[in-house]
Amino acid sequence: MFKDFIKHLFPRVVLKKNLRLSYTFCLGGLAFTALLSLLLSGALLLFHYQPVPERAYASILALERDVWGGSYIRNLHRFSSHLFLVFIFLHTVRVLLTGAYQRPRHFNWLIGCALMLLSVFSGYTGYLLPLDQLAYWATQTGMELFRSLPLGNFLYGVLVPDQVGGVSSLLRFYILHITILPMLIMGLSGLHFYRVRKNRGVLPYL
Amino acid sequence: MNQPRSLKTDYLKSSPHFFQLIVVAACFLCLLLFCGAILIQAPLLGPADPGVPPNPAKSAWFLLWIQELVSHGTFLIYPVIILGCFFVILPWLPVYRPAWRASWLPEGQWFVNVLTVVSVAVIIGLTIIAAFFRGTQWQYAWPF
Repeated sequence: MFKDFIKHLFPRVVLKKNLRLSYTFCLGGLAFTALLSLLLSGALLLFHYQPVPERAYASILALERDVWGGSYIRNLHRFSSHLFLVFIFLHTVRVLLTGAYQRPRHFNWLIGCALMLLSVFSGYTGYLLPLDQLAYWATQTGMELFRSLPLGNFLYGVLVPDQVGGVSSLLRFYILHITILPMLIMGLSGLHFYRVRKNRGVLPYL
Repeated sequence: MNQPRSLKTDYLKSSPHFFQLIVVAACFLCLLLFCGAILIQAPLLGPADPGVPPNPAKSAWFLLWIQELVSHGTFLIYPVIILGCFFVILPWLPVYRPAWRASWLPEGQWFVNVLTVVSVAVIIGLTIIAAFFRGTQWQYAWPF
């Protein structure tokens, strides 16, 4: 059944001359593969991470020192997130440089833009969670950048009601990072794939 | 533009021909991820201390280009927002006619091609400057 579902996502036949890597470089598919790796490694990290300021850092230390493969899972999660953002960025650039954003794919272009923004925001919310010096100051600096945006102060107040790394802000970053943003990203990815299929597949058709 | 008709013999079944490409790409990435996770350690410094700021304090790597840009003036965030909005509404601009087939660097959208390449170059350039050429007090410094 799963195989049939996957098959259904793609056109039944493709033009022979289009069957080459040099058009899309599979960048969207690679981004999605990295996303699956992120979800899997992130789910494993959830068993050990404690989203409380006093225990967050200690739980990461314990994961690194005491859990078999814990350090590797954390490395995988971080490396996957880097590649995910790189692939999403390159995929967006590819769509622009091939004119694939044009009608009739304009709706999918909007979904793609939303996916890129959500992915960056998801990466940002995950940055704070280890609560080490790097995480804290990178988030603090990011929040200052956030405040330079229109409505930045309002959004700052929503995200950080106490202080960066405080009880409420850590909890909000955590909830955003592990539930709301992944659900939005997965939901929009499904819609993105559906629209690709509706618009005659991933190969250079418009 | 009208789409030229293709013959039946010009087509191949997606399964297995097209799927093979997808599976190879996914396997290659998994291998890269699994090996990369062995070689590249996720950093973990000391516990967060709001009283001990690093100098310079840098944002996450994917936001460094904005930090570098804003360090020259907060108002520079607005051209970024305007450019972002321009890219988002591109399909609704009346200047471009839809083509029947996508291709790399289509001539009909030379302005978008140039703007995209310049934007990418600026983002990468600013990220490199902020990551490697900024020292204490956010002054320019050599990385070595």
